[in-house]
Amino acid sequence: MIQHIDVHAVLQESVAGVYADLVTRPTGRVVRERIERAIVPAAHAGDVTIARMDFAGVGCIDYSCADEIVAKLVQGRPAVLVLSGLSDGHREAIEPVLARAGLAALIEEPGGTLDTLGAPAAAAVLVEELVARQLAVRMPGGSIALTLA
Amino acid sequence: MTRLVEVPAQFDDRSFDQFAGAFAAAAADGERLLFDAHAAEWASPYGLVGLLAAGQAARRSGAADKPLLTAPTHGEVLSYWARAGFFREAAELFEIHGRVPKPKAEDESDVLVPVTAVRAAEDVHAVVSKLQQRASAILASELGLDPKATMGFAMALSEACQNIVEHAGTSGWVAVQAYHWRRTLARRVVVIAVADAGVGFRHSLEPTQGKRFGARWGDAAALEAALIQGVSRFRDPGRGQGLAGIRRYLARWDGKIAIRSGTARIAIVPPWDDDVPLKDGLPPFPGAQVLIIIPEQGSTTR
Repeated sequence: MIQHIDVHAVLQESVAGVYADLVTRPTGRVVRERIERAIVPAAHAGDVTIARMDFAGVGCIDYSCADEIVAKLVQGRPAVLVLSGLSDGHREAIEPVLARAGLAALIEEPGGTLDTLGAPAAAAVLVEELVARQLAVRMPGGSIALTLA
Repeated sequence: MTRLVEVPAQFDDRSFDQFAGAFAAAAADGERLLFDAHAAEWASPYGLVGLLAAGQAARRSGAADKPLLTAPTHGEVLSYWARAGFFREAAELFEIHGRVPKPKAEDESDVLVPVTAVRAAEDVHAVVSKLQQRASAILASELGLDPKATMGFAMALSEACQNIVEHAGTSGWVAVQAYHWRRTLARRVVVIAVADAGVGFRHSLEPTQGKRFGARWGDAAALEAALIQGVSRFRDPGRGQGLAGIRRYLARWDGKIAIRSGTARIAIVPPWDDDVPLKDGLPPFPGAQVLIIIPEQGSTTR
């Protein structure tokens, strides 16, 4: 199953005041914990939950939040994460944080194609694993696509 | 007895060491301090937040009464200090003498974020939000920054402010302003100034880094560890990325960062500036003071 997580909505529930920016470590921690609680585990052993984390509507992400949310969720692996709705600014915060931790995540481009973000070696392993588990297929031209709708 | 601390007429990062020296000498015996800014002609955001940090330190130093502050007498200077939000924060720290004007409503001001107290994560949210509301147009139109750079600027601001929340052990202040940088550059810049009178980098990092540096350990080594090596007092390997991220952003936009803490000051110096990378043996000043400068884009060679 693919779960949709509206990160902006989670942020709004997590902070007092109407802020659109994912900044500060305490905020990142609260947002991550809410996301972890929202992710429904797979019903059967061997099944995988895919969580599409939609960043649309999120203003700035700082490095602290990128680490506290994305890097720690990728490390904790409550689900296969697909990051969508990312702006260039979001990527600039998330990419070095994942790379420094030797991690990678899937990102969904505006056209729907998938790519990876983070450490190249970890990205290659991630794609291999998804293909091997038949969660993703390689498309002509080198892109990848999830097998689940 | 009251001890006098003269505020330099041109109060910025360059004259801060002179101010720190006067402060250290006057504060040594715990007497009440009088910060004399009556002759001030100009103060950068760094000077203003640094003065607040001095007031914060003076209040802690044992004197029973608030330190005194004589406000600038020059009308334009007074008006700017008020517009920059200085007196609103200073009222809590100082017994202010002199006529202080009421700040006017923020309009076409170059003050992108007025002097704002940073006590907790919520304050960082408010500061970043305020910057994004006011600064995008100025950063893009006046400084020629790519609109993408605005978000990076907000990231840098957030990380600089978080250093206070995470490491200072007390509150601090931030101010963001665009102005014409006459010294060495002669073009528009946008400046982030952050200051606190907290524990400083050496104290914050000592438990995890002191042994590693051995006899070299001190304020300069602590600043080097934090800014150059990206170490953090936390053992979580994900920590310590804030300053590294700021450095990446500044490298891309030809910017500068300088951090003063204790008796040392470290800087990443772009080609357009003539600062030195590391100074040690400076007059002691509590906490940490951070200066970030992004220049107008274009040719910035000197």
